Amino acid sequence: MNLSYRFYYIVKRNLWSYKRFVVPTVLVSLGEPLLYLIAMGLGLGAYMGLFGGKSYLSFLVPGMLITSVMLASAFECLYGTFVRMIHEKMFDEFLVTPVSAEDIVTGDIIWAVMRGMVSGLLMLMVSVLLGIHPASNWGYLMVVVLMAAVGFLFASLSMIVTSFAPNFDFFNYYTELFLTPMFFFAGVFFPLDKMPAAVKLITQLLPLTHAVKISRAIYNGTFEPFLLARFAALLIAGAVLYFFALYFMKRRLIK
Amino acid sequence: MDNELITAKDLIKKFGDLAAVDGISFTIEPGLCFGFLGPNGAGKTTTIRMMHCVSPVTSGTLTVFGHPANVDDRKIKAMTGVIPQDNYLDADLTVRENLLLFADVFNIKKAEADARIAELLKFVELEPKADRQINELSGGMKRRLSIAKALINQPRLIIADEPTTGLDPQARHMIWQRLRQVKRQGATMVLTTQYMEEAEQLCDRVAIMNEGKILKEGRPSDLIVELIGNEVVEIQIAAEEDKKILGHLAGIACEHERVGDMLFLYCRDGRSVMQKIMELQLPRVIHRPASLEDVFLKLTGRNLIE
Repeated sequence: MNLSYRFYYIVKRNLWSYKRFVVPTVLVSLGEPLLYLIAMGLGLGAYMGLFGGKSYLSFLVPGMLITSVMLASAFECLYGTFVRMIHEKMFDEFLVTPVSAEDIVTGDIIWAVMRGMVSGLLMLMVSVLLGIHPASNWGYLMVVVLMAAVGFLFASLSMIVTSFAPNFDFFNYYTELFLTPMFFFAGVFFPLDKMPAAVKLITQLLPLTHAVKISRAIYNGTFEPFLLARFAALLIAGAVLYFFALYFMKRRLIK
Repeated sequence: MDNELITAKDLIKKFGDLAAVDGISFTIEPGLCFGFLGPNGAGKTTTIRMMHCVSPVTSGTLTVFGHPANVDDRKIKAMTGVIPQDNYLDADLTVRENLLLFADVFNIKKAEADARIAELLKFVELEPKADRQINELSGGMKRRLSIAKALINQPRLIIADEPTTGLDPQARHMIWQRLRQVKRQGATMVLTTQYMEEAEQLCDRVAIMNEGKILKEGRPSDLIVELIGNEVVEIQIAAEEDKKILGHLAGIACEHERVGDMLFLYCRDGRSVMQKIMELQLPRVIHRPASLEDVFLKLTGRNLIE
C-alpha cells in the first residue's frame, strides 16, 4: 500500500482532459435520466394513479437519482479507465514519476465518483424543477453524501472488473448481467414487496437496493434506525471493494 | 561518496518461469552514458525498468543513487527522467499542458515551471507547437516532447529506451544532438538500443546483452579491438573458394567467418591482407574499419532472432 496525496494529479489530469468533453457529457448525463423520467414518470405514471399517496414520478426520482450516479461512476471506471490505461498509456506515463500505482487508481476512482456526482446533481436539479425534492433541507445534504458513497462503491467494483478486462467486450458480462438487471431488481421502478421470497432475498444482496431505500426515505422524510445499517453496509462494501481494486490493478500494472 | 551511480549484482528478473534478466552484474559511473545493446528480447528494457522502479527485482541487488531500487521508490523516481519507448504522451492535452502537468507532478512551482517549459520547448525546437494537440505532431516531434518531459525535473539520471527507433535520419540526428547536450550538462545517461551507430554516437560504455545475460561490457573502441581487430575485409564469393583464399593468406594472422555468400576476414593489419587479396583479383571486396556492429554480430550470432 503506497498511497499519497499524489492521486490529486490524476484527478487534475482527468479534469483538464474533460474540458474538451464537457458539453457532450453534460448533455448525455442530463438527457438520459430526463428521458427516463419523462417516459416512465409521466408516460407510465399517467396510468398508475397514486403510488403510496404520491405521483409515480415522485416514487421514481429518488431511485433514478441514485441509479444515474451508479451508472456514471461505473462506466467511467470501465470504459474511461480502460481507454486511459490501455489506449492512452496514461498509467504507464505516471508510473515513471513519483506517482504510485495506488495513487493512480485512487485518482481514477475519485474522478469517477465526481463524474457520478455530476450526473446525480444534474438529475437532482431536474427533479427539483419538476417539483420533487427531499423532505427537508438536510435531505439535500444527505442525498449528496449518499451519492458519493454509491459512486465510490460502484467505481471501485468496476475498477476490479477493469483490472481483469482483456478488451471492451469483457465489460458486457458485467453491465448486461449485473448492472442493468440490478436497475430492475433494486426497487427503482416498483416496490419489491410483491416479489417472491427467493427473489426478495437476492435483491437484499444488491447494493443498489439499499441505496434506493435510503434515498426514498430521505425524500419521504421517514427515518428508521435500520437505514443507518444499510448506509454502513454501503460504506463497508465500498471500502472493501476499493482495497481489492487497488490490489488487482496493481497486479496488472506492476510486473 | 562512492563512485557508482548504479550497481547491479546477480540481478535476476523472472516472468513466471522465464528469466528475462538472468543474473547480470554491472556498475554505471556518474556522468557517463551507458548503453545496453541487444537483439529483441535480450532483456534490455526489463533491466532499465527495474532501474527506474516500475518493475520489481526478482532476486539479486540493484541500487540507484545508493538506494535499493524497489518499486515505488519515490526518491529514485524524483531524480530520474525517463524517455519511454512508446513516448507516453497525453493525447487529450496540448504540448504545453503535457509539460505543465509533469512539472506539477514533480512539485515545481508555477513560475519556475513556466520558465523551465519555455526553455525546454526551445531546446527541443517545439516552441511553435506549444499549444497544439499531441496527435498533430510527427513521430520525431513526439519523441522530442518526450525528451522535454523527461528533463522537466532536471534529473541526475536519464533513462532512454530505444530513443530513436522508428525515426527518420534527420530526427534521429537531432535526438542524438540533444542527448549529447544533456549529457554534457553532467547528467548520467542509460540507454537501450539496437542500433550500433547510435551506441557509437552516444555511449561511453556498452553492455552487449543476449537472452538475459551480459555477454561483454566495456568501451566500444576497446571491444572492437579486443574482439574483432582494427579492420575487416568482406569478400562476396561462393564458399568453395574459401580454401583457396585462406591458403593464399597463410602466414598472416587473421580470423575468418563464413556467412551465406560472404567471407569476413577480421584482422589487426588490414593492409597486408588487402595486398594479398588484390593478387587474387576478386571482384567484390570491401575493406573497412571494424565497427561495433561486427562485435555485436559476433557475440549474438548472425542468425535471425525472433
